[in-house]
Amino acid sequence: MHSFGYRVNALVTFAVTILAMLCAMASLSDNLNVPSPTAEVEVLNINWFQRQPNGNDEVSLTMNISANLQTVFTWNTKQVFVFVAAEYETPQNSLNQVSLWDGIILSKDSATFSIHTTNKYRFIDQGSNLRGKDVNLTLHWHVMPKTGKMFADRIVMAGYRLPEEYR
Amino acid sequence: MDWQGQKLSEMLMQVMLVAFAVGAFGTGYALGSFQTMLLVYAGGVVLTTLVTVPNWPFYNRHPLKWLDPAEAERHPRPKPQPAAPSKKKPVKSHQK
Repeated sequence: MHSFGYRVNALVTFAVTILAMLCAMASLSDNLNVPSPTAEVEVLNINWFQRQPNGNDEVSLTMNISANLQTVFTWNTKQVFVFVAAEYETPQNSLNQVSLWDGIILSKDSATFSIHTTNKYRFIDQGSNLRGKDVNLTLHWHVMPKTGKMFADRIVMAGYRLPEEYR
Repeated sequence: MDWQGQKLSEMLMQVMLVAFAVGAFGTGYALGSFQTMLLVYAGGVVLTTLVTVPNWPFYNRHPLKWLDPAEAERHPRPKPQPAAPSKKKPVKSHQK
């Protein structure tokens, strides 16, 4: 500490160490937040449901996606990535996930939304398993913090069944 | 900067930074604003720099009192004693 340069060095080193600890504390403080999000995905219409020439089933849906993810946001949240996936079981695979829609929520104010949309990404099964299939429309979200640990969670909305016939 | 000043400067630096960090985390968490935390802490670092890095006069209140050269000449340094013959046997190196 006997010269200007030594004092600057000591100060910067200590300041950055404390800054890292502040960021760690901020990340840990996220654990104190207990989110209580709600979500609902309603299928309004099946636009088409057909078998492609290559044998895969494809569905086009019109959905109403509404959710309230405000409680997911904390002071350490940068953004939340949210997507709706259709999850179903086939004889080959116990879990199939097809992403139907996604979005990025940048602020707590826009974390309550209700969106009327067709599926943004094509809902195609690798095979011909979709007729009469029970599908869980699941809202997943990944919380991207400003510093520290990422969180992910989901709400499963079971009880949607695709029709027995192509249309 | 004298010895006492260096000690004071280091202590001030550590205490101020920790205090500002605690304050910054408290305000940031209370207001729910990460940016506020960073701004408060950045302000604290700048203030701490201004207080502890320049050589302010209050770091020089305990100057070292060196002996006057004339005084030192009156008490000459004792001459080194002629080296007593070593009782230890010289260690032989075992070279192969």
